[in-house]
Amino acid sequence: MNLSPFRIAAEPYYRPVGNEVSIFEAAYRDRLPVMLKGPTGCGKTRFVEHMAWKLGRPLITVAAHEDMTAADLAGRYLLSQDGTVWHDGPLTLAVRGGAICYLDEIVEARQDTTVVIHPLTDGRRMLPLEKRNELLAAHPDFQLVISYNPGYQSAVKDLKESTKQRFIAIDFTYPEPEIEAEIVMREAGTEAGLAETLVDIAGRSRNLRGAGLNEGASTRMLIHAARLVGAGVGLEQAARASIVLPITDDAEMREALTAAIAACV
Amino acid sequence: MSPARRPRLEVLVTDREQAVARLHQLAGARPALRSAFQPAWQHIASGADPADLEAWASGILDLANVNAGPGCLVAAWQISVTLQPRLGLVALGDVVRAAAELCRRAGSRAAQAGLNACPTVAARLHGAGEMLQWWRSLHHLAQTAPESVALVASNVAAILEPAGLGGWQSFLSAGLKLGGTDRARRLAFFGLEDEAARRMLARLGETVDFQHVERGLKLFLTALWANPPALRIAPHGMPGSGGVGPGGWPRRTSLAGRIVLMPEVYRGVSPETARLLFRAAAAHASAHVALGAGRFPVGQLKPLQLALVGLIEDARIEALAMARFPGLRRLWAPFHTAAATGAATAPGLLARLARALFDPTYVDTDAFVVKGRALFAEHAGRLDDPAMSRRVGNLLGNDLGQQRLQFNARTYVVEPAYRDDGLGLWDFTDPPAERADQIEVVVDAMRPQPQAGEAPPRGEPERDPLAGGRAREAASDGRGVVVATYPEWDRAGNVERPAWTTLRDVPPPLGDAARIDALLAARPDLRQRIARLVRGARLGLPARLRRQIDGPDLDLDALLEAAIAMRRGEPPDERIHRDTVRLARDLSVSILLDCSQSTGERVAGYGAGPPVTVLDVQRQAVALLAEATAPTGDPLALRAFASCGRDDVRLFRLKEFSEPWGAPAKARRAGLQPGLSTRLGAALRHAGAELAAARTHRRLILVLTDGEASDIDVADPLDLVEDTRRVSRQLKARGIDVFGVTLDPCGTGAGAAMFGAGNCMKVTRLDDLPARLAELYFRLARR
Repeated sequence: MNLSPFRIAAEPYYRPVGNEVSIFEAAYRDRLPVMLKGPTGCGKTRFVEHMAWKLGRPLITVAAHEDMTAADLAGRYLLSQDGTVWHDGPLTLAVRGGAICYLDEIVEARQDTTVVIHPLTDGRRMLPLEKRNELLAAHPDFQLVISYNPGYQSAVKDLKESTKQRFIAIDFTYPEPEIEAEIVMREAGTEAGLAETLVDIAGRSRNLRGAGLNEGASTRMLIHAARLVGAGVGLEQAARASIVLPITDDAEMREALTAAIAACV
Repeated sequence: MSPARRPRLEVLVTDREQAVARLHQLAGARPALRSAFQPAWQHIASGADPADLEAWASGILDLANVNAGPGCLVAAWQISVTLQPRLGLVALGDVVRAAAELCRRAGSRAAQAGLNACPTVAARLHGAGEMLQWWRSLHHLAQTAPESVALVASNVAAILEPAGLGGWQSFLSAGLKLGGTDRARRLAFFGLEDEAARRMLARLGETVDFQHVERGLKLFLTALWANPPALRIAPHGMPGSGGVGPGGWPRRTSLAGRIVLMPEVYRGVSPETARLLFRAAAAHASAHVALGAGRFPVGQLKPLQLALVGLIEDARIEALAMARFPGLRRLWAPFHTAAATGAATAPGLLARLARALFDPTYVDTDAFVVKGRALFAEHAGRLDDPAMSRRVGNLLGNDLGQQRLQFNARTYVVEPAYRDDGLGLWDFTDPPAERADQIEVVVDAMRPQPQAGEAPPRGEPERDPLAGGRAREAASDGRGVVVATYPEWDRAGNVERPAWTTLRDVPPPLGDAARIDALLAARPDLRQRIARLVRGARLGLPARLRRQIDGPDLDLDALLEAAIAMRRGEPPDERIHRDTVRLARDLSVSILLDCSQSTGERVAGYGAGPPVTVLDVQRQAVALLAEATAPTGDPLALRAFASCGRDDVRLFRLKEFSEPWGAPAKARRAGLQPGLSTRLGAALRHAGAELAAARTHRRLILVLTDGEASDIDVADPLDLVEDTRRVSRQLKARGIDVFGVTLDPCGTGAGAAMFGAGNCMKVTRLDDLPARLAELYFRLARR
């Protein structure tokens, strides 16, 4: 089985914020499934990529969506010239090949889909493929990682208790201002002053979380803004284009955010 | 021409062609008038066109002919002298004629007040046309409130200044509506002693008021400080150190602990500037709260020293704030307009010092300003220490004191305009009694009061721009528990009047529950039809169905399996489609019943037997509907309303959402009697506010009314229709469907105008109701 396309060649940049690296390493040692919690754009996906590279495992990422079925994860029979042929789904591929399988935004998938992962995340470590009549034991290197943003989904979309309790959780938040500025500098290739101002701006928007905004500006947004500035756009325009306009459609909120950004500049 | 015919000829001619001569005769005949007329005439007549003079004189004669009295005539001459260059004699003749008409309607005192107001009016309005419109508005007022004309004319400056002619007219009509038949109330309104009049004036100004910017400011401050102070409108007439403008309006922000009291408006600035000024003021005040440290003891400081220490503290806080948020400098800078010119007055020097400490590029050579700057720079290393403000302020206070400059604490207004009045800095060991009271009032107002029959309130709800107005809690009196006050749309003025209607929770009278059961038992056929329709309506979230025999999409998995089966030689499963249906019921309904007097009217042609009223039909319809929805588990609330003027909109809670449709609810329903009027907008706003809390996918307000909106204090029912239409739209925008079911015996109601043609249905016979309900539910299910 060739999983080499899923291997990460160069080290993805990741700036550790706390003890997340050591916890992940410890979890991987015993192949415990890991749940990454935190707001969007704070580095969850990058962290998984970094850890996959660091642990030397291939990484298979699946972005969950509400139309996703168990077959989309596990695999299905397809038609070929001379009959049917079984096609492994991404999860099955990872289980067979010993990759890290990363299910991004798992709550987006329907609850009956997510129960597929249950046998993989307890002592059994196996994936039943009932269509093939196969009980697939997980490769010793296989690990399951899911991400989960508890903030913005409605109460309707939540993980089942039985799913939640199978995971080690690592909580991600926005890094401390100095570290976040360092990340923005590194990712967008900008100078320190700009990165610090952008982080300050992000702080303003994060104050409004729950007061009209579902989420504050993410680190990803700041990197986008910094890149716009790097391409010659004025700072306030860049902040408007990459933060204010994407984050809200509420005119008053936009005006207040713009004013707060102007105060930081 | 024979002498015998001369008198008749004279009469015919004088009115039109010899008015000037007649006027001279009239003025000459009375010594009291003569002395005033002569100089005025000389002024007016010099170089004037004779025809114009005739036209003017005939106007004056009109005034004389209605016995306006010498005071009016003298006033007319005076304004003629003053306004001749601006308006011209012909227009002045019309103005005087309008005064004569007013004199006829409201007496000479009113006419004279109107004439005296003319120079002010002319200065505010454009040309003779607007001037005459202004007079016509007085004529209109004189029809219903002759006693108020003189009063309102004498207040013309205060009203026209912020409001302009359109605002003036809205103000008059609002006064008439508000005062109604209460003469004393009208006098209080037009004398600007009524709180509502003052608030109205503040809103009429073309400037942006606090309510426009409140949410934006709150968001802005939250963004800056995470935990910002609360913003409130400063109470009217709050005494402060010169922070109060003419008429008692606060002109500056004021700090009261963690509350920032904002002026309701900033006068005399354009809307754009007002927005910036509000933002600058909020930023400044919140910086005090976020970066300042406690209050200074007043001790023996004199007013000038208080002002100076306040100024230095402002500069210190702003320096700290700008170190944190450099962009605030651009927000504040435009308001520092003091220039290093002119006579050195204490307020002038204070404003210049404020600018010097704020703006490093500002040049001022005044010794006091230079010293202030130097002292502040000396202490620049200790910006974190509030004591430095006090020290520098005291040193400077001695300087200014030695210059023997007048400083009047009563008239002093802190400059620039965005700064606070400075009183919040001080710990008055013996606070001025009135102010302490005011603070208590404000703090009390913030304290949430539990609403009758409601769960304890949560935190202050966020202001929703689409909300049908925010409910404001109001004090209770004997007419039932005040639940909330709601705004109302003023069709003529094109403004939403905040806190215009007061909603009271009145316990419904109890009737015999058996009567409702009897009503239901009488129509078993209808019961079954309605119950079937309600249960059959599929409302709720869409759900996917896989492996269907039929459907709009192919189910890929099923398709593959079918193909696989065929290759295996097995019969394939034919269920290869996908479908989407609305499965779960997820609907809250609030039914709003009109029980006004007009629902007591009989319904013509409603079967045989005893006469049936609209309310009876409603009673039966609601009983049927409530019974039908009970087994579906849909939360259903029943409310009835009637009104008696805007401050007495009564709400009867017949059934709560969670309450079963049992004997108590039936008894409340049976006891309802027709009475009073229909102020639908207020009731609808309340039903919307209650339903907004429901956590269902679909929310529906069913209004059962006779389609005739009216109230005792509303002259034009169209006002209420417009208001209702506005609420319906606002609720629609919030995802609450409003359907009007008009039980309309005569077919004259304005259901379509209030709810929109698609959201309203007319039912004349109860037998029609099942069909109408079917329409309603299918319409809902389609959306």
